[in-house]
Amino acid sequence: MHHFERRALLRYGAYGAGAAALAGTAASWDRLTGADIPGRNDGSLVVATLGSAFDQAAVRFLGEGFRELHPDIKLRVNAVQAVDWSDFFAKILTQIAAGTAPDLVYVATEGVQLFAQRLGVPLDRWVKRDAAELREYFSDVHPSLVESMMYEGSLYQLPVEFNAADIYLNRQVLRRAGADFPPPDWTRDDFTDLLRRMKRTSDSHFTPYFWTNRLWGGVVPWLFANGTNLLAESKAPGGDWLWDSFYPAGRRQGRGGGFRWTTPQVTDERVEEAYEYLASLIRDGLCTRPEGGNGNNLVGVFSTGRVGVTPAGGFWAGGLSLAGMKPTGYDVQYFPRWRTQRHQFGAAGYAMLRTSKRQDEAWEFIKYAARKDTLTRLFRANQTTPARRSMLTAERYRESGPKHWEAFYGTLDQFPDTGPIPAPPQVAGVEQVLLKHTGTALASPRSVRPALRRLQRDLEKTMERDA
Amino acid sequence: MTSTQAPTVRPDRAADPPAGDRPRPSARERGARLLAALFLAPTIVGIVVFTVVPIAGSVVLSLFHWNVIDSPRFAGTANYREAFTDSTVLVSFGNTLVFMVLAVVSQLLIALILALAVNGRMPVWLRSAFRSAFFFPLVLSAASISVVMKYLFNQDFGVVNWLLGLVGIAPVPWLTSENGAMAAVILVYVWQQFGFSFLLFVGGLNNIPKEMHEAASLDGATGLRKHLHVTLPLLSPTLLVASVVGIINALQVFEQPYVLTNGGPGDSTRTVVMVIYETAFEQLRFGTASAVGVLLFVLIMAVTAFQFRLSRRFVHYQ
Repeated sequence: MHHFERRALLRYGAYGAGAAALAGTAASWDRLTGADIPGRNDGSLVVATLGSAFDQAAVRFLGEGFRELHPDIKLRVNAVQAVDWSDFFAKILTQIAAGTAPDLVYVATEGVQLFAQRLGVPLDRWVKRDAAELREYFSDVHPSLVESMMYEGSLYQLPVEFNAADIYLNRQVLRRAGADFPPPDWTRDDFTDLLRRMKRTSDSHFTPYFWTNRLWGGVVPWLFANGTNLLAESKAPGGDWLWDSFYPAGRRQGRGGGFRWTTPQVTDERVEEAYEYLASLIRDGLCTRPEGGNGNNLVGVFSTGRVGVTPAGGFWAGGLSLAGMKPTGYDVQYFPRWRTQRHQFGAAGYAMLRTSKRQDEAWEFIKYAARKDTLTRLFRANQTTPARRSMLTAERYRESGPKHWEAFYGTLDQFPDTGPIPAPPQVAGVEQVLLKHTGTALASPRSVRPALRRLQRDLEKTMERDA
Repeated sequence: MTSTQAPTVRPDRAADPPAGDRPRPSARERGARLLAALFLAPTIVGIVVFTVVPIAGSVVLSLFHWNVIDSPRFAGTANYREAFTDSTVLVSFGNTLVFMVLAVVSQLLIALILALAVNGRMPVWLRSAFRSAFFFPLVLSAASISVVMKYLFNQDFGVVNWLLGLVGIAPVPWLTSENGAMAAVILVYVWQQFGFSFLLFVGGLNNIPKEMHEAASLDGATGLRKHLHVTLPLLSPTLLVASVVGIINALQVFEQPYVLTNGGPGDSTRTVVMVIYETAFEQLRFGTASAVGVLLFVLIMAVTAFQFRLSRRFVHYQ
């Protein structure tokens, strides 16, 4: 047995006591979080927006305009830079994990149900309280957009913008192909014929149809046009409190308490048809492969006539104008009809977080952000489609184009079944497996069926997971 | 020849005096030890805070279900079982290993050939220019390089296919076919990374005594034989360092496949670190992501240990 000397025992005892004292001191401290960083926790109402959605001047205006109305509320607008909504939500969730949750987050359709289910506060009580004040807002906003912001009967956001997938056409390419601008009720076959004409009259560096593999504007518009969806779609009960208060009988018919996307159905015959159609376009050299379509260089290749048509929303009017494209250089038309002419859209608005200690102040900001004067100044560059119908005017699109700008809101007004992209609380997983298997499905028409079987299996697994 | 070095054979431990009989260090020695501890402290604290604690944190987190929003729930080994049965995770390990072998072999070969070439007879200014040019990509951001490369490799609008078209070669589906995508990712990665190995090799080659080559020449060895039997054995310690660092980096590849192909087509270029990122930050499954991270850590440790074991046979120290 090892014998300790008295001196050694005393020394080790002192070490132990020191370590215990240090551990005790550390344990007695409150957990440090990101909020402890000086300047972070200054009592401001914190609003997180997608940095790339608004330019710097617009973000500044958003703050200044609110301070003028509510000088007693300190406001901090945190413009989070992100490449897409998925990246943006990841950054917001990281802030929440770090203990620096904002009070309000700008959330698009992709995240509406995730935030509503886990983080959001229903706005119902405030909407009911300020019903008189909000009547003008709801009369100006299409009920489909409002319904897309509802979850299980409650409203979580007031939509301020949306984008539906219409078809942008390059006028120069149309002239080169000797083709007329298509009518609003054009069909999928008309669309295919147009692509073939464009291909025949162009060189080998030209691609008639350019698309990007993502949830919004990828395969989903074709599924909608073919009368199907990735996930079985239904509506939650409830929501009458809103529809009865703000919408006339004709416009509230068929509305519910928000969308439900549940069982995956990609082995459905119509889904297969849509994939086979896209695979045939790729095989015939009429469109880009899913991995080749990259939104980053789309403006360049479209404006220089190396692409003929592409799906995009109102946001692209501003993008093309910034790229120097003349209003007469392009135009927009509805997505072609297949079995239906149902369009898909994504909308966005501010969601209030449960962790917010300034919920009444946050509600004031939500109302302010949905005002027409606020949105008019914010969306001056046509970087998106305003949710308010009255803001879509000939004057707004006079400088940027397109000529047929009415198509933007027409996707809602002309096609009552137009709906949001399928975005259940498990949306991140859904989008990931969709993008992955779409790539393999479109390798060739023969790859479609096995890839869709794998997609079905992975979607089922994803949907079983807790969001 | 007499050696001035201390003998490397450890004295018999039995010969050490018992702890209690050791003479007490003098005040001067204690001061020196304290000073050494003070100098080492920032490094040790840094390693503990930024390496040991995160590793331990990952191991602990891998035993829980955690989605950032709700409190963590103990999961036992469920995350590991999920990692071992998830086809995407398994495919990503396969992809990463294939990538590692192809990328590291290419990187070392190119770096070695260029280092030998630059170390040959050429004006000093030209040698400096080459060294700078080969090293330059390494200091650039991998993400921004990948964005540019994505434009260059685009099948329909990319410069690479346009140049190939000038000599009559049909467009190559660089990023849209399984083999093409992996090849493009490896090309971009190797282009950026070989500069580091190149610099190591240039340094290693400069340390080889000229007498060795002269002696080999006198014995009748030609250029290639000299490199095989003199240069390579004497460069083997540098090769070991370059390969260890290269393999560790390659096993953690992320930016290039993420930006260039997003792991596609299908899963063909999805790497382990991509899966960790997607599982954690897109799907909010931090426990499973941590489990995959721990498995990758174990793989890297195992591969590195294997390399050092091999080095006993193949690495020659002068």
